[in-house]
This record gives sequence, structure tokens and C-alpha cells, in this order.
Amino acid sequence: MKDFLRVFFSRPIPLVGLVIFAVIVALALLAPLLFGRGPFIIVGMPLLPPGAPGLLAGSDVLGRDMAVGLAYGARISLLVGITSTLCAVGIGVLLGAVAGYYGGWLDDLLMRVTEFFQIIPSFVLLMVLVAFLQPSLSSTVIGIALVTWPQVARVVRGEFLSLRGREFVQAARTLGMRDARIIFTQVLPNALPPIIVVGSMMVGSAILTESALSFLGLGDPNLLSWGSMIGGSRSAMWVAWWTTVLPGLAIMITVLALNFIGDGLNDALNPRRRR
Amino acid sequence: MEPLIAIKDLIVSLPPGADRAHAVDGVSLSILPNEILCIVGESGSGKSLTAHAIMRLLPRGVTASSGEILFEGTDVLRLSPSAMRKLRGAGVAMIFQDPMAALNPVVTIGKQITEQIRAHRAVSEKDALEQASSLLAEMGLKEPKALLKSFPHQLSGGQRQRVMIAMALSLSPKLLIADEPTTALDVTTQAQILKLIKRIQAERQMSVLFITHDFGVVADMADRVAVMRHGRVVEEGSVSDVLGDPKHSYTRALIAAVPRGESMLQPVAQDAPLLSVKDLAKNFRRGGFFSGASAVKAVDRVSLTLSRGETLGIVGESGSGKSTLARCVIRLLDPDAGEMLFDGADIAHMGERQLRPLRRRIQMVFQDPFSSLNPRQTVGEIVIAGPRAYGEDMKEARSRAADILRLVGLNPETMHRFPHEFSGGQRQRIGLARALMLKPDILIADEPVSALDVTVQAQVLKLLDDVRQQMNLAMLFITHDMRVAAQVCHRVMVMRHGQVVESGPTREVFAAPSSEYTRSLLAAIPGRGKLASV
Repeated sequence: MKDFLRVFFSRPIPLVGLVIFAVIVALALLAPLLFGRGPFIIVGMPLLPPGAPGLLAGSDVLGRDMAVGLAYGARISLLVGITSTLCAVGIGVLLGAVAGYYGGWLDDLLMRVTEFFQIIPSFVLLMVLVAFLQPSLSSTVIGIALVTWPQVARVVRGEFLSLRGREFVQAARTLGMRDARIIFTQVLPNALPPIIVVGSMMVGSAILTESALSFLGLGDPNLLSWGSMIGGSRSAMWVAWWTTVLPGLAIMITVLALNFIGDGLNDALNPRRRR
Repeated sequence: MEPLIAIKDLIVSLPPGADRAHAVDGVSLSILPNEILCIVGESGSGKSLTAHAIMRLLPRGVTASSGEILFEGTDVLRLSPSAMRKLRGAGVAMIFQDPMAALNPVVTIGKQITEQIRAHRAVSEKDALEQASSLLAEMGLKEPKALLKSFPHQLSGGQRQRVMIAMALSLSPKLLIADEPTTALDVTTQAQILKLIKRIQAERQMSVLFITHDFGVVADMADRVAVMRHGRVVEEGSVSDVLGDPKHSYTRALIAAVPRGESMLQPVAQDAPLLSVKDLAKNFRRGGFFSGASAVKAVDRVSLTLSRGETLGIVGESGSGKSTLARCVIRLLDPDAGEMLFDGADIAHMGERQLRPLRRRIQMVFQDPFSSLNPRQTVGEIVIAGPRAYGEDMKEARSRAADILRLVGLNPETMHRFPHEFSGGQRQRIGLARALMLKPDILIADEPVSALDVTVQAQVLKLLDDVRQQMNLAMLFITHDMRVAAQVCHRVMVMRHGQVVESGPTREVFAAPSSEYTRSLLAAIPGRGKLASV
């Protein structure tokens, strides 16, 4: 663990990512304390620029405080990004591991199922799913997880296919280990780096996907997210840049910070970098 | 005579943070025209980096920081990049250990050879192909025209190395650098390649710089020898002087480490066999849905017996089925037919569930010291994984692990380290420790030393033999190298194309081989009869 932290913090990039991410999470968690009012409360004239009295980030088309919106929006965006990625990685690792480790007809079957999800335009499938399930936070999470797990499954299967032929996996079999034990203690740790890289990028793209859904009005109507802020402000894009640019920047910075963290994790989990 | 190439006080520096400052530390060597110089040494001796410095192909961060390399009078280290490009191929050419990695897998052989010719000379594609085909013929390859159209993966290891040599010679270089060109090959293929290099050197009157760790190869190849250790040349001289009267103790140790291919072990008394295999067969299906399947008989009705305390060697070239046989015995593969009686039970067709309690009694040491250990587990985790899978208590497993590590010659305090921090020989010891933790009855060793330097080979072989005696193990020893088999095996079985060609007590097989094939394997032993006992 000590080695892990030392390598993780040995370069500035993961540290920067972690700091940015921590600030965003803190903002999201402390939003009620910091502002004392909800994001839907109208506080003044619409489209006031940032820096107007009492409005750090200006106001939106309905005269709501943009700063409050950004902080509350972070809660939804992060929640959707992280939970949907965890679900997708869970499904993807399980199916990919089984397909890659056992091969044969099981592999064929699972990969055809995976391909079925991959050949359908994923955003269209997502829209249909969310519309079918009623737009809500959980339907968004389920929908995003269902359309993104195939990329994890593909990566994991490829890793398992190449790793299962390695001699240390054969050695584990001759030691009499059970398959589940081999998969989780021998093969999976070696397949982690690509899973972490894909995972950290997926959090970012899940946040973007949620934004896109909200932009189209398919998000939870009772919750404010960065995407719905952009979607709601698009009519004012040319007269009040901050209404769209600020939530857009928030998305960009979060995704960047997550990629930085993923980069650091990847190094820190590699025993070769520890000494 | 003016030397073709003269290396003077060469120092090759490693990047900061490496375990030492200089990989090559003041080496001076020269090669005359029409001469073969062998540089011999263990891995880490700087022999390869010296050769790579001549081609200016040092890895990133590694630099030739001082000294000169004079090729026909001009200093290679100070040539401009374009002059260096002209020199590579036309002046100095190089062949490598792994011909598969050195050839481009998606380009035909013909294209790869002609590309090189046409990069240096203005000739038409047709003329270049003509030249390529005559080169391949010169390398002793049959049907060169057809070969030009094939891809690297369609050739055998020996054929690939011949193609590499043809490519290296396509511009008639004055110096050929061969960096362990036969280490990845079978003994018989090695003998052919060595003969080929020797013949071509004589015909073309060129110079050869040959890098190897094996004094047996030196005895066959060299005019002169330079022995390297820790980046320095410790001894240099004509091959007869160095072999006949080695001055330096390290040279003597290297020569002594070469197995002589003379059997010293008496066959052990045969009591009731622990394992008896009868008519074992394993087929592999090639091709698939569209091409129509064809079966390859990898193991073809093989029978053997193995008793406690004895080592049975299975010798053969790659593709002989020896590894498939071993993997059937340990049930990593399921045999198609035949029976394997182990302690009275037929394990050939036993289901995984019934097999599990028996698995711990048959253990294996694998060939590749780099892929056989999980890179993400510490040595301790690797070694106790087996007992833990059988539910042994963590504390007890740890204390036993310390004993076993000591037994195989490792410090138990290294338990928290990861495999990449160990050398190849040490890794094989870890692999052996992992197998011994389960207190097996049978130990299968699948080419356990073929990836190791000769000196390390000798140590690991001795360790295996000691462990066999101490634990009264039955050992199945798979190898392509007759000399290695001679050292540790009581009986040998020679395999070819999945069938047993010959078997018997090692001494008898070596003294009077009954089959032509065994004779050819024995004849392929490098340096046979040329190494005096030291």
C-alpha cells in the first residue's frame, strides 16, 4: 500500500487529477451548506453575467443562480458517471472473463451477445431504453451501463485470451486451484491496467452521455445536471456565453481529472514501477 | 594484417539509476579479415551491447560514452546518420537471437529481402528477386522461389534463421555480427545453422563476430575467443589456447559448466512403477469451418513407466510431441486415448472434480522463467498459492515456504519481492519451490534450463537432482538437448513425430544408439569431443 501511494504521487499528473476531482466532489457534497438554497430557486433577472452582485457565475435564462446549479449539477453528473461505469465494468469483466478464460462455444455465445449490443447505434438504443423506462436517475444509470459494458467485455476477453495461455496460469491449474480462484487471483490482476484505463475514460464518457440525454430532455426532470443546464440554455448560447460554456467547462475538467487519476492508477498498480 | 574492425577502450554507459554505471567498461578487441571471433559470457556481461555498439543500435538511454570503433580506419561512433545507414547492411550486417521478432510478420520473405537490396542498390525488382532466390538457395533452403512468396509464420525456426542470414548477406557485408543466433533453436537445428555460418564465412571470406554463452558452440565456431565478464574482457586468445589452457578462473568455470554429453548416472532399481502410461494418444485438429479439419498426431501411442527416485528424460526436437506428452500426464491437456495409471487409478480420463485431490501429487516446472510466474504476485504469494488452494493454514504455509525457499537456494527474506526483481535462474528456483510446496510424488520438468545461460543451467540441473534425491521424487525431464539429458536422467526416451524412437538406460543409449535419429541428435551436440576436461 505504501509503495502504491508512493508511485501514485511520484508524478504531478495523478496528483493534479486527484486534487481537481476532490474539489469537485467537495463542491457537490457541500452544495447545500455553501449556498443554502436549491438550484431551482429564481434569484434575480435572467442572463446576468458572472460577477453581477451576489452571482459569482451569473444567472441562467430563468434567473437562477448558475453557481448553485453547477454545484448541484456536479452531484448528478458524478453520481451517474461513477455508478453507471461501476455497473458496466462489473458486467463487462464478468462476461469478458468467462468468455476469454473458457473460450469455445461459451466464448462464441457471449461474444455474439456482445456484438448484438455493439452493432446497434448505442445512443439510439439508450434513448429508447430511457424513454421506455421513464426518464429518471436510475433509468439513466441502467441505460448507460447497458450500452457501455460491451467495450469492457471486449477488452477483458482479449486480455484473458492472451493471459490464459501463459505458463503461470497453467501452473495455477496444476496446483489444483479452482477456476474462479484462478480467474480472480491470477488472471484478473494482470488484466487490470486496460480495465482501469477503459474505466476511467468511461466515467468521462458516461458524464457526457448523461449530459447528452439531459440536453435532449431525457434526463430526470426533477434533477439538475450539467447536461440539462447546457440543454436548457441553448437558446441563449449566443447572447449569454456563460450559460453553456461554464457547465461545459465543468464537464471537461472533470473528465480530464478522471483520466489523470486513471493514468496514475495504471502506474501504481504495475509492480515494475514500484521499485 | 590490418584488422577489419578495431574496438579501442570502449565504454558503454547505462542510464542513471541502473545497477551499475557502465555495461561495457573499457573493452578493446579487433577482428581480422576472414576471421571468426567469438565473444563468450553470461547474460549481463556486456557482450551483446558491445556488438550493438558497432551497429550503433544501443537501446534508448544507453550510450557509447568513450572509446573508438574503427571500421576500416573510420570511427563508427562519429559517423553521420546517413553514412551510418550506408554502413549498416553493406559494411556490417547483424542477425539476432529471435528470427520471428526480427522479421516483419505481414510482409513476404521475398519483399523483405528485396527491400533491403533495393534500399542500397539501384536494381530492378526482378533482378533483386533473382538475387534473393539465389541467396536462399545458398543458405541451403529448398524451393527458394516458393519461399519468397511465403510469410514468416509459415516457416520453421531454422528456416527463419536461414532467411535472416540470407538477408544479412544480401549486400555482401564484410562483417557479420551474430548475436546468439542459435539460442532459441533446437540442438539439431543449431548444429545446421552453425555449420551454415561457418561454410558461408569460408566461401565469402568475411569476418564474423559471434556472441554466445556456450563454450560448446565456441569450440565449434571460433578462430579466436574473447571471454567477457562484468563489461570487461578477462581473457582473449586463439581458440586452441583458450580451450586447451584457460588462464582465467572464470574461463575455466565457463568451460567446466558445459555438459559433456557423457552420462554419469546409474539406472536405479525398478520397483513397482508409480506412474505407468500405456498407448497414450493426443491429436490436434488443424483447420476449421471452411478449410476442412485435419488431425495431427502430436502424441502417437506412447507408453512409459516411472518409478520413485528416478529421472526419465524425454528428448526430442520441437514438434516431436514431448511437451504435449508432459501436458497430458499432468492433465493440462486431455488425452484422446490410452491410460495413465497413477498409484493404481487411471487419471487419463478422470473428471476435474476427482482429479483435484490428485493434482497436488504431480507438479511441474515450466520452461519460460519469465511467463511462468505471475508478475503481479510476490514470491511469497506465488509459493503459498498451492497450499492455500488446498486450504492449508496461512501461517503454516508461510513457515514451510521459508524452508522450501532455503532448500532451493533462495533467501526467504526475498518473499515480499516481485518476480521481475530476480534473474532467470532464480526465477526457475522460485518455480521449483512453488511445485515442491505441495510435496509432490512426481515432478515434471519441461525444458527447465533451455532459457538459461550454461553456468546457470549447471546449477539448476544440480539442484533438480539434489531435490529428487532428498524428496525421493520421480522426475519426468523434457529436453531437446542430449547433453542436458545425460546429466540428470537415469533413462531416456527419444521422441520424434509423436512416436518413441528409442528408449533405454541413458548410458546405453549414449554409448550405442540404436536408431539413426538418436545418432544425429548426439552428433549435433556443440563442441562434442573438443572440450577437454578442466
